[in-house]
Amino acid sequence: MTATRFLERLPLYLVGLAVALWTLLPIYHLLLIAVSPPDKAVAGDIIPQTVTLQNFITILGSKHNLVQNFWTQIWNSTLIAVVTALLTLVVGIGANFSISRLRIPGGRLITNIALLTYLIPAAFLAIPMYRTMGQYGFLDSPWSMIFAMVTLASPYAIWVMNQASAKLPVELDEAARIDGATPLQILRFVYLPLMAPTLVAIGIYALLLAWNEYLYAFLMLSTERQLTLAPALGIFLAFDDAPWALMMAAGALYALPPTIVYYMFRRYMVGGLTAGAVKG
Amino acid sequence: MASVELHDVRKVYGGSITAIHGVDVEIPDGEFVVLVGPSGCGKSTLLRMIAGLEDITGGEVRIGAKRVNELPAKDRDIAMVFQSYALYPHMTVRENMGFSLRLRKAPKDEIDRGVANAAQILGLTPYLDRLPRHLSGGQRQRVAMGRAIVRNPQVFLFDEPLSNLDAKLRVQMRTELKALHQRLKTTSIYVTHDQVEAMTLADRIVVLHDGKVEQIGAPLDLYDRPANQFVAGFIGSPAMNFLGGTVRRSNGAAAVAMVDGTRLPLPAGAKGGDGQQVVYGVRPEHLALGDSGMGFPLVVSVVEPTGADTLVFGTVGGSEVCAVFDERHAFKPGETVHLAPKGDRVHVFNADDGAAL
Repeated sequence: MTATRFLERLPLYLVGLAVALWTLLPIYHLLLIAVSPPDKAVAGDIIPQTVTLQNFITILGSKHNLVQNFWTQIWNSTLIAVVTALLTLVVGIGANFSISRLRIPGGRLITNIALLTYLIPAAFLAIPMYRTMGQYGFLDSPWSMIFAMVTLASPYAIWVMNQASAKLPVELDEAARIDGATPLQILRFVYLPLMAPTLVAIGIYALLLAWNEYLYAFLMLSTERQLTLAPALGIFLAFDDAPWALMMAAGALYALPPTIVYYMFRRYMVGGLTAGAVKG
Repeated sequence: MASVELHDVRKVYGGSITAIHGVDVEIPDGEFVVLVGPSGCGKSTLLRMIAGLEDITGGEVRIGAKRVNELPAKDRDIAMVFQSYALYPHMTVRENMGFSLRLRKAPKDEIDRGVANAAQILGLTPYLDRLPRHLSGGQRQRVAMGRAIVRNPQVFLFDEPLSNLDAKLRVQMRTELKALHQRLKTTSIYVTHDQVEAMTLADRIVVLHDGKVEQIGAPLDLYDRPANQFVAGFIGSPAMNFLGGTVRRSNGAAAVAMVDGTRLPLPAGAKGGDGQQVVYGVRPEHLALGDSGMGFPLVVSVVEPTGADTLVFGTVGGSEVCAVFDERHAFKPGETVHLAPKGDRVHVFNADDGAAL
């Protein structure tokens, strides 16, 4: 790169640097505190004086009364996230295939109504959802979280899938019909393979939505062995002398799975979620 | 293979918009029929109704003497080639061509044999393991035809299959299609808006206009004896010249007199009573240069030499006229030449409804 070219781009680099620092600084502090000994956690060092993995060992070994259910809670988070992702895909595929491929009457209306619910902030629905789950007896079970998260993820899933499937020419379905395919065979042999990138993106979106959810989990789950990791970490703050080092280490562990998932499927995420962003 | 019959077939959208007004066509077994007409004439709709992709509002479609109105597309034993090819993008050429047999749960060796046979006919053998996106337009077109051939259907349906190809490839594929039909002899219905494609491929042409059949006939019949002004203008390139006027008969000689007094000579047997308002039609290739006193004068505006022949555009009595000559001419704009129709190849149409007299 020539010097003039570099100078031309300098403002861009500076903005990029600022954004990167802005994003990375909290993560740096999270990791900094996580590797500090508990008594040095809030000393305010920018460079750690002593580095220890003791906090992680304490958590992974469940050797502190705050993290005694750590493995149960991470299992709860995983179960809820994975089942939410799968159910969201089932709902999304069923809705999108019948609306945009089988062209059932009223399909557009359903899409619009679904999108309308997406405009209501999730926090507004928390109390009604709590009551509903209570009435059906789902409170304090993973199903309350799964059903709530599927409800919140589905409208977006349907909308993104409608945009993506609009790009699949209808002639493909017609060709398959003439080739002798039933609607279910069209779904299996034509629709699903071609929608796969979008489906991966939607699945991960729902997975992360459920994994990261704090408010709903805090409301609907109460006993410690039913909690997901997000509200369980919140309990750390309930103490006057919050164990910051332990909390940050647990936070780092909590952030690890989504980071790995996102990294593995990052190509689909960018391609899939922006699929409907511009008309091709 | 089978015959296809359409009896009073109608298509109405939303209860009020009529796309097809009662079409009757009988296609014998093995015939290659082309549905041709300008865009919006209903030709693709009609084809899709035969395919089972559109509901039939009224009338009856029979394939091989069996009424198929209520049969789903997959049970009609037809194969269709789409304008966009509609190849499954995630399947190889082999999988694309074998898909229908796979759905029928045919044994693997039967699928392999069918695909190999079709690939050999179409010269696709080296490409069987490629994905459609790694093929050229012409190759994709062949795969689409291969997919149809593998099924060995009763009827082939083609929906403007060549219009996505460039001009040179289109001519080549047209010839291949004709050779293919001569070899397989499967009943074929082919939709196009290109009258040259229609003329070259068809055993019979059905000319459609605004959802109605204007004329059905062999290509040269339509060219020589168009039933009306629409068919006359649609078939043939460059299009037939039309000049409005009044029939004048005196002393056994007949002519069409234009408003400005230009007289267009009518051959001896031409119909049309004295004083009748008519449209005089003559094809550009049926005009010959004459001496003054013969035929009618043309004021030249543009000359287009194509190498093979020369197109001369000009005006006769204020109306645009085109003439095509085998020989080369270098007329100047503004020059007046005399044109006379060759032999008796003049068409006269009723000015009111365009019907041939």
